Amino acid sequence: MSASAVIAHPVFSIGLTVACYAGALELHRRWRWIPTIVVACLPIVVLLLLVHEPYAIYNRGGNFLTWWLGPATVALAVPMYRNGLALRSSLPRLALIVFIAATVGMLTAGGTAWLLGAPRTIILSAVPKSVTTPIAIEVCRQLGGIPQITIAMVIVAGVLGATFGPLLLGLVGVWENRAVGAAVGSASHGIGTASLVRRSEMQTTVSSWAMAACGVFTSLLGALLAFFIR
Amino acid sequence: MFELVRGLAIVVAIFLSGNWLHAHGVPIPGGVLGLLLFYGAMLTGVLKLRWVERAAGLLLRHMVLLFVPLTVGLMDMGGILSRQAFAILASLLVSFLAVLLTTGLLARWLLHPEPETSAGNAQGVQ
Repeated sequence: MSASAVIAHPVFSIGLTVACYAGALELHRRWRWIPTIVVACLPIVVLLLLVHEPYAIYNRGGNFLTWWLGPATVALAVPMYRNGLALRSSLPRLALIVFIAATVGMLTAGGTAWLLGAPRTIILSAVPKSVTTPIAIEVCRQLGGIPQITIAMVIVAGVLGATFGPLLLGLVGVWENRAVGAAVGSASHGIGTASLVRRSEMQTTVSSWAMAACGVFTSLLGALLAFFIR
Repeated sequence: MFELVRGLAIVVAIFLSGNWLHAHGVPIPGGVLGLLLFYGAMLTGVLKLRWVERAAGLLLRHMVLLFVPLTVGLMDMGGILSRQAFAILASLLVSFLAVLLTTGLLARWLLHPEPETSAGNAQGVQ
């Protein structure tokens, strides 16, 4: 059996991906600063380069995993519902705030790339960069961007918020728990939210809700935008 | 195990319904339509949170695994990434700061301070 026949077999590429992910999780458990996604991808990239096989061959099996991003998006309703219950009284105002956040995020990301003369695909890939990966990918595809570029931007936006979010908010005098949660959830989705867990339960609750809501609003606005640019 | 399989079956069925609606003219992506259907079903009590909690938890906890295959595709994009690095980084930074600060300041202005104790009680519900 040639190397390409093995790699092209979905069972092999799925197994390889799961193994690399499990290894990356273990490393992340031991050294917190190691980003799981980067460590999980590196061995796969190295292997493909070593055996001179194109990405498309690996991705025949990879597609089976990618498909599950759809059900994962659906599953986001659970934290949204659960945390929504805890926030009942402030939910209408929070929804308005997160809606504005989604609008600002899309306009500033696309706008900056456009002002700098980036090609159309880059501008469109940048638009959904604030929201959780599965939704960002769907919005990117709908607009005609490149999902990989969106993913890279989404991850960096998450890490920025997890590392500097509360600090930057403190610099402009925002300390209140719900305000910090809303801001970090809207700007840095799940990665930002996870970083709040050790700080405050209220921040985490608001952030989880804001991250899901920001995804929903961004995809509604994305559908509208797709209608106008197509 | 049964609980997990039942939960996954429900989530997948909702996703497929969302996809079907999307294929039949609703302009919102199938996953997000599914999210909204699911949220509505839990609000109205059609679906119970405990039926799906474990399956949803599993999907959300290991979401990173699901976007590994797409991310590996970055290996083919060295060219466009290095050519557009400045635009991508600038757009990322400007937009990140804009969203974070606008939202934080807006929330401080619009959300009236709530005593910590009531927030604590609300947490107890979970």
